[in-house]
Amino acid sequence: MNKKKQAVETVIFTLPAIILVTIMIYIPFVMSGYYSFTEWNGIAKQPTFIGFDNFKALFQGNSSFLSALIFTGKYTILFMILANIFALALAVVLVKKLRTANLLRGIFFVPYIMSMTIVGFIWKFIFSQGFEKLYEMSGLSFLNLSWLGDPNLAFYSVVFVGVWQSVGFYMVLYIAGLQAIPGDVLEAAIVDGANGRAKFFKITLPLLMPSITTCVFMSLTNSLKVFDIILALTKGGPGGSTYSVTLDIYREAFQNNNYGLGSAKSLVFFIVILVLTRLVLTISRSREVDV
Amino acid sequence: MTRKQKQKLSKVILEILMIILAIVFIYPIFLMFINSVKPFGEVVADVIALPTKIEWQNYKDVIDKMNYPRLFINNLVITIIGILGIVAFSAITAYILDRRRTRYTRIAHLIITTPMLIPFQTIMITLLKVMNVINLSGSTWGLGIQYWGFGIPMATFIYCNFMQTIPKELDESAVIDGASTFRTFRSVIFPLLKSVTATIVVLDVMWIWNDFLLPLLMVNSSPATKTLVLSAYAFVGQFNTQWHYAMTAMVLAVLPSIIFFILLQRYIVDGVVAGAVKG
Repeated sequence: MNKKKQAVETVIFTLPAIILVTIMIYIPFVMSGYYSFTEWNGIAKQPTFIGFDNFKALFQGNSSFLSALIFTGKYTILFMILANIFALALAVVLVKKLRTANLLRGIFFVPYIMSMTIVGFIWKFIFSQGFEKLYEMSGLSFLNLSWLGDPNLAFYSVVFVGVWQSVGFYMVLYIAGLQAIPGDVLEAAIVDGANGRAKFFKITLPLLMPSITTCVFMSLTNSLKVFDIILALTKGGPGGSTYSVTLDIYREAFQNNNYGLGSAKSLVFFIVILVLTRLVLTISRSREVDV
Repeated sequence: MTRKQKQKLSKVILEILMIILAIVFIYPIFLMFINSVKPFGEVVADVIALPTKIEWQNYKDVIDKMNYPRLFINNLVITIIGILGIVAFSAITAYILDRRRTRYTRIAHLIITTPMLIPFQTIMITLLKVMNVINLSGSTWGLGIQYWGFGIPMATFIYCNFMQTIPKELDESAVIDGASTFRTFRSVIFPLLKSVTATIVVLDVMWIWNDFLLPLLMVNSSPATKTLVLSAYAFVGQFNTQWHYAMTAMVLAVLPSIIFFILLQRYIVDGVVAGAVKG
């Protein structure tokens, strides 16, 4: 085959993929960039160019975007900590040779394969109807709290449901990581007289760093984008206490019809995600060790 | 007690504790199932109690009201079209990008995989405009095609990483024997990519089948094109006091995923792990 024909073939075979991502992702992305400098309700023929006004409006005191950013930040931090600690704890127990280990792994994984919207609804039912009945039966006072009605509690409820839904996912990643740790390293540590705790913190955890990097990274991007669970569980309430950035972008564009302002929000959101994920990757990569 | 017996005992205690934890963990899903087969009166009276008799009428009513067969077919159409396109385009693109290293392929690789960094919410507003213009919004097949654009970056990335592990001699000898590029890909390379393809299929089926936001924007306006999750979302909102119907709709929405998981548990867990590590 001559060189020219080969070059043409290379382009032809890769062109469909390039065209598809261009239409679905790059063109909308560039348009978002343009609309973020305009005021447009989607009905008027032409958007009006207003410069940086949208971006200024985002960071003024009464902006819903700022409080949404703060909520999303708090949600992300708590979600990352809880999801990773619980997942790692489950993984450490379930790599042991228990008779029911496989069944148990399956059970903890099940919520992850379900739609997040339905997961939100299940818990809405549990928090409202289920807790009421369980309180009548058991008298445990925490069951009698308004887990979705009180702004402070609603925050924890949303985090809890998020962790419940995806802890199984991070668990299987940690199990895979634990299984990849060579047994002779651990045996050598025992021979050298390391106790269980020293073995875990000095050997297992450092060798698990690649899995930790993956899980921290995935939990970061997933929690920053939280949407479905909140929409089903609280719709952002009560009093905006669980209002996430993605929900704010959605409402601004498709309910308030402020396409310009919505685009500006979505662009700031993109930059926040990009900076945070780079940061986390750099930090955790630097802590990985070689065997 | 000897040391060994002690270890054995602590293992049994640990196992019992884990089983209790797992039961508490899965209890909400169990509650959803039992309340979906109770008559309305029993749900109101006691959500914890087991049903006194199985009420299949709930299922008949909800399947009817939701038009469940239609929704199921819509989900199938969207998922199958989406998966076929993602796998076909990504696999062949990765093959070419890995084997023909030129300046063009380096740029193409960058163009195709960079969108992994762009969150969907950043482009969703203007995406709707673009899809309206090229007529891909408002239909199940159009939505399926849209998933090609969103699935290709990650799938190509995973395929590319795996292509590096396939010895070049395999496809070079096919080319020397006179096979065309496409023929070589189809009969030599693609069969070798089987394990990665399984990973990509698992990840993308879970994603497309359960996706909410993109279908909400694209196919929510007509009952004929709605997906299972969209319809369950609307249904639960509409029947939010009639929990017996709401529960039934929720069970019907998640049942396909649960059956899929029980049948293919090994592949799904392996696929999810492989996808996360390579992605």
